[in-house]
Amino acid sequence: MKQKKILEVYQNNSVKISVRREWCKSCGICIEFCPKDVLVPDDQEKPIPENIDACIKCGLCELRCPDFAITVEGAEEKNE
Amino acid sequence: MNNLKKKKNIKLLQGNEACAEGALLAGVRFFAGYPITPSSEIAENMARKLPKIGGKFIQMEDEIASMAAVIGASIAGLKSLTATSGPGMCLKQENLGFAIINEIPCVVVNAQRGGPSTGSPTKPSQGDMMQARWGTHGDHPIIALAPSTVNEILTLTIKAFNFSEKYRTPVILLLDEVIAHMREKVEIPAPEDIEVINRKKPTVPPEEYLPFKPDEDGVPSMANFGEGYRYHITGLIHNEKGLPTANSQEIDAFIRRLHNKIQKNIKDIIINKKYSLDDAKIALIAYGSVARAAERTVKLAREEGLKVGLLKLLTIWPFCFEEVNRLAQKVDLIIVPEMNLGQMVLEVERASQGKCRVVPYGRVDGELINPIEILRKIREEMRK
Repeated sequence: MKQKKILEVYQNNSVKISVRREWCKSCGICIEFCPKDVLVPDDQEKPIPENIDACIKCGLCELRCPDFAITVEGAEEKNE
Repeated sequence: MNNLKKKKNIKLLQGNEACAEGALLAGVRFFAGYPITPSSEIAENMARKLPKIGGKFIQMEDEIASMAAVIGASIAGLKSLTATSGPGMCLKQENLGFAIINEIPCVVVNAQRGGPSTGSPTKPSQGDMMQARWGTHGDHPIIALAPSTVNEILTLTIKAFNFSEKYRTPVILLLDEVIAHMREKVEIPAPEDIEVINRKKPTVPPEEYLPFKPDEDGVPSMANFGEGYRYHITGLIHNEKGLPTANSQEIDAFIRRLHNKIQKNIKDIIINKKYSLDDAKIALIAYGSVARAAERTVKLAREEGLKVGLLKLLTIWPFCFEEVNRLAQKVDLIIVPEMNLGQMVLEVERASQGKCRVVPYGRVDGELINPIEILRKIREEMRK
């Protein structure tokens, strides 16, 4: 099995999701509350943004993470 | 004066005062607590004395917060003390577990009173012996000491801090109302005459520091928060970096190390005193204020020609299994007088392995056990 890095960064054209794996205690709250089901648990129940293209950058995962282990970055959509 | 001998510093002190005195000698500079009978004088004395020597006293909103404050102060590098009685001890349990898993040195005094719950605030008890061992959840080790004289309160308070710093563990000092409030002659040692142990500091630069990587003795070095060594502290089982782990090998190694750092040093930690045990056929095993009565019982019994001896336990946890096992092979009967309905007697039975008769003698009416009733119990058992 591929050894995962301490800081895993996943990105596409519009969003960058970083998971600091050693801070994550596998509580699953980010996965549970993602409104777009972007995150799926890996073998250690830590999040992987498998459906990153569905991410709407709402930041709920980052807000809810009790251990600051997940961050969402990306260009802010401009309001009209 | 041509007396070259150093003048001894003898004082008449209350047990709780002696505890505060011992703590200051051990280098305590922080106290957080919430006053409760029969431990309040420890807080009162610390409140009076700590500010004068640059220390800090805080009366917290409750015992939960007191224990939390003690943990915080210890992580910041100060030797920290808190004192309470049974009801407060219950509240401290959660954070006591936090201190155990994070290997934070501190001393918690429990001046025992009658319980459960609010119980009998001004009456003595030894009802918290098992709580000291198993009060907080999880398979954890603990060190608990139980002095039986005011002088021993002073020396064991210093010992408690030495053990806590040496093994990075909370240590519980079990007093009971009798010795906490008793006034007795105490010889206060000069600072240069006492052994004071301080925690190991890291020898590596901050970027190489692993806060929970044990040295050969199983004890990791401890950096003060705020001195450049940034690390993570969590109640979750953690790896050497202090970060949570779900790896079963790491979990196993961690819990075993917690136990081993105490178990492998059992010879250093266990302290007890023996009275007339060499030729004894009947042994008393006692601790705390009851050990005083038992000591007198030995004298009275010997006057009657009865071969009675006493093993006085000063270290309660870890239990002196080997010592009691050897004793059980030598004597015909062990009587365990204690101010509860049979707590330490369970350990004595376990350690005796059926090699001799073990009999409990309990009293829970809020009165202390006196020498005559123990003697009466001995005579009664001899007739059986």
